Amino acid sequence: MIKAKNITFEYIRRDENGNVLEIETALDKVNVTIKKGEFVAILGHNGSGKSTFAKHVNAIFSPGEGEMYVDDINTHDLDRLFEIRQRAGMVFQNPDNQIISSVVEEDVAFGPENLGVPTEEIKNRVDDALGYVNMEHRRLDNPSKLSGGQKQRVAIAGVLAMEPKCIVLDEPTAMLDPKGREDVIKTIKWLNENKGITILLITHNMEETVSADRIIVMDKGRVVLSGAPREVYSNVGKLKSIGLDVPFATRMANELADAGIPVERTVLDNEELVNTLDKLILSMGISKDKVNSRFEKPKEVKPYVSPTINEIDGKSSIILDHVQYVYGKGTIYEKKAVVDANLTITKGEFIGVVGHTGSGKSTLIQMLNGLLKPTSGAIYFNGQDISEEGYSLKFLRSKVGMSFQYPEHQLFANTVVEDVAFGPKNLGWDNLKVDSNTFKAIKAVGLSDECYDMSPLEMSGGQKRRVCLAGVLAMEPDYIILDEPTAGLDPKGRDDILELIDSIHKERGITVILVSHSMDDVARYADRLIVVNDGVIEYNDVPKRVFQNVDKLKSMGLDVPNVSDFMSRLAKLGYKTNPYILDVNEAVDCIKKWFI
Amino acid sequence: MIRDITIGQYYGTDSVIHKLDPRVKLLATFVFIISLFIKRSVLTYSGATLFLIIVIMLSKVPIRYILKGLKPVFLLLVFTCVMNLLFTRTGTVIIDKKPLIITTEGIKSALFLGIRLAELVIGSSILTYTTKPAELTDGIERGFKFLNAFKVPVHEFAMMMSIALRFIPILTEELDRIMKAQEARCATFNEGNVIKRAKAMAPILIPLLVAAIKRANDLALAMEARCYRGGDGRTKLYPLKYSARDGVGYMVLLLYFALMIGIRVVIAKFKIGI
Repeated sequence: MIKAKNITFEYIRRDENGNVLEIETALDKVNVTIKKGEFVAILGHNGSGKSTFAKHVNAIFSPGEGEMYVDDINTHDLDRLFEIRQRAGMVFQNPDNQIISSVVEEDVAFGPENLGVPTEEIKNRVDDALGYVNMEHRRLDNPSKLSGGQKQRVAIAGVLAMEPKCIVLDEPTAMLDPKGREDVIKTIKWLNENKGITILLITHNMEETVSADRIIVMDKGRVVLSGAPREVYSNVGKLKSIGLDVPFATRMANELADAGIPVERTVLDNEELVNTLDKLILSMGISKDKVNSRFEKPKEVKPYVSPTINEIDGKSSIILDHVQYVYGKGTIYEKKAVVDANLTITKGEFIGVVGHTGSGKSTLIQMLNGLLKPTSGAIYFNGQDISEEGYSLKFLRSKVGMSFQYPEHQLFANTVVEDVAFGPKNLGWDNLKVDSNTFKAIKAVGLSDECYDMSPLEMSGGQKRRVCLAGVLAMEPDYIILDEPTAGLDPKGRDDILELIDSIHKERGITVILVSHSMDDVARYADRLIVVNDGVIEYNDVPKRVFQNVDKLKSMGLDVPNVSDFMSRLAKLGYKTNPYILDVNEAVDCIKKWFI
Repeated sequence: MIRDITIGQYYGTDSVIHKLDPRVKLLATFVFIISLFIKRSVLTYSGATLFLIIVIMLSKVPIRYILKGLKPVFLLLVFTCVMNLLFTRTGTVIIDKKPLIITTEGIKSALFLGIRLAELVIGSSILTYTTKPAELTDGIERGFKFLNAFKVPVHEFAMMMSIALRFIPILTEELDRIMKAQEARCATFNEGNVIKRAKAMAPILIPLLVAAIKRANDLALAMEARCYRGGDGRTKLYPLKYSARDGVGYMVLLLYFALMIGIRVVIAKFKIGI
């Protein structure tokens, strides 16, 4: 279906006179063959060349050297360009930027319309395509009313309507929440299994690749590993060395094996791992009862109790007192986004805020720095009502800094220094203080002196995030609210940013309020968790206690940390386990005891 | 504030006007506007107003909704009327308190101009109230096809229009997000003099522009990947097809226009002063 022979591709940057400034080799003699009906995942960190390769399959790019064949058509053959694009459809990362029409069904029809398919036939194709992706019920809607996952499924339908043999998906889930992610991956799998469509999935999410027939790992424009998931994920060291990871179950299995338990190292998901362990115990003649008889009841983890007014007297705090937020009050669109929220946040905490898309968590955090005013109830910062007439919102916002999702979209200045200085300048500080705070902040986020005069727009994704964080830190906040600070980053970028946030929290005693879809991240860093569901604060407790409620959280459309999922699966098989365990090492210790 | 503007928005009900082919409605709007400029007289204006009222009633769009649509142009309306009232010097003088002079001709021209302007806005908004954006662009593409002969890229214009419509809600949301993000960094947008305020816009407009260009780039790529190659050889999911209803529509339109011309001729011949 797809054959890449020695393809090389270079991005060339030129100055105004056409002189070559820089040559970046995105693909370096890549050889790949993909058979008809295969499900292949291409894995690599940002900048590994995986997206460039994807664009070659769709003949958006053609190789500088070497040959690329799609269904035996050479992509250099410009006369057959549209044949290639019809056969190998492409789905992109950003769901908003690939939907052309204001009506779902008309968007799906866009491809066949371009191909000159007769009207009657287009109708049939649109019906079928929407059916395959399970979106018939929204066919007359405006795409802007759909969720990210739904939009991505519409985009897939738009490709399907061209009746392709192969679909290339370039990080289709990077901008989606867990639910949307799951739906999209399910759809892709279904199409591969039932419609025989060849799938090429570009991703940096390991968990999405486990059901692929084959994984191709790319780094610096080259293919470094290729094979079935089990083969590829047996190279833990090699993957780590190029900034990638292995799926959680594989990592867990490796940890168990390292601890001396004779478990297979190449397991791909938790279900498999749990079953393997179960069989292992049986085959080794250790009975479940024996394991359970050794079980020691874990010490009760104390629940979080909000401090009383007297306890926080004199300390910095944000207090929410019966706060409600209603959108479009009094109209037919009235929607309660936050219902009766009572919270106390004090200086020095690390708080995780989780909830599915549309749960009201964004509204909740935007009230903390006065961007939204509660429709009823009151918010007190350091004891003062922030809704009061004459209260300085500038002061509040400098003390409660906030960074939105994809903060790099708000960068505007010519240089990094100017951008970071924007907040301090708005506060009316004198030049000396503005400058010293700006440079201190840039240093604090780990950017070097060379970055000062760079344009923020020229920086890499991870660096841009750092600039944004510096922009918040430069205002000397006591609290920082971070909305999905790791969205769209690869595993290495994600870990770097989270480590940075954690070190800032520890060194400066700044309260961090981290909004995230990744339960593993909040479980690792937060010391308190706020779970929002349909506008109501469902849990406000320490992570260990919150994550015991695996089933309840799943019913709210939320994930649980991988360790919790693993432990709860063991519990379902009848093993007595400690529900408080969130850490891989603790889990290993717990299971190790069974085999002594 | 942006949300208050009803002008240019689609109002979905099931009416004869909604079901008409967009080409008929486009021509009707055009003819109606021309008819407003035929002759300034009570008779022609009553004719046009009557026609408009009948169309509004047929369209089932509530009058209140339509009048709300006038809100954004209301100031302009009042302004032009007042200007005409104050600065017309012909006709009999009614009030003469220098510098304030009001004449009969002034009142007349203010009234006529006000009505004309209001009917112009209402007439063209009826088009958008009763026609889905997608239909409208289709209608423009097909209706103006003849311009292709003069090398006017009609399909491209129509495509641009429909993409613009698709991205208006996305960019509005983006704008909201950017404003909030800069506000979180203590930016203020409504303090100081005009220059200061204009300067405060840069941190909003630059990211918005960057985002729009990025989106345009992505979209172009996505369109290419889906084999877009201009209007030639394209088919449609819902091609525009005339029905009997549209024939009647054209007839009514012809009749209306003939009547208006007739009135004008009669007025001219018998020198009717009103």
